[in-house]
Amino acid sequence: MSHFSTIKTELRDRQALLAAIGDLGHTASEGERPVRGYRGQVVTADLAIAQDNGADIGFRWSEASGCYELVTDLDLWQQPQPLERFLARLTQRYALRTILAATAQEGFQVTEQSDRLDGAIELVVTRWSD
Amino acid sequence: MKQITLRYLILPDGRVEERVEGVQGQACRALTERVEACLGSLQRQVATAEGFQAVSTGVIQAQPQHQPRLG
Repeated sequence: MSHFSTIKTELRDRQALLAAIGDLGHTASEGERPVRGYRGQVVTADLAIAQDNGADIGFRWSEASGCYELVTDLDLWQQPQPLERFLARLTQRYALRTILAATAQEGFQVTEQSDRLDGAIELVVTRWSD
Repeated sequence: MKQITLRYLILPDGRVEERVEGVQGQACRALTERVEACLGSLQRQVATAEGFQAVSTGVIQAQPQHQPRLG
């Protein structure tokens, strides 16, 4: 018997998040730093992407939810795509990075990886077992 | 020797559909639990003794926003 699952991705793993940020062409700096968030309130982020106007895009670890949350001041958003699209793309790359790392650790090898016209990524990994 | 295949469809919004082939019983769950733990929260899981196609169609129909636009 095999199974089929649908999983809602959450940004839980720091390394995969850093890799996903890199995939989108950004560099995140690590270490605590103040970032302007909702209505200009300053919060401490654990990772941050610098924007030219000085309003960083931060990621703050939330103990309550067990994942990273994006923190930024939307009035100063400078990315070419809206926040929702940015976060969706980031989450998709995060999912890919997480699956690649976790399955490699389990001894799987990538046999297929392709970008579909509808924007989804198809990935097939295999391994032999007794 | 038997081949185990994991098939992933990573949707543009970051949701992941995962299909496991070639694994018997509980080993099937154990195998993907680690991946799922790193990824996020499991929304739905279906045992697929009869193959993937019927299940896959059901999920895609339940998420019409990812269907390509026609016309």
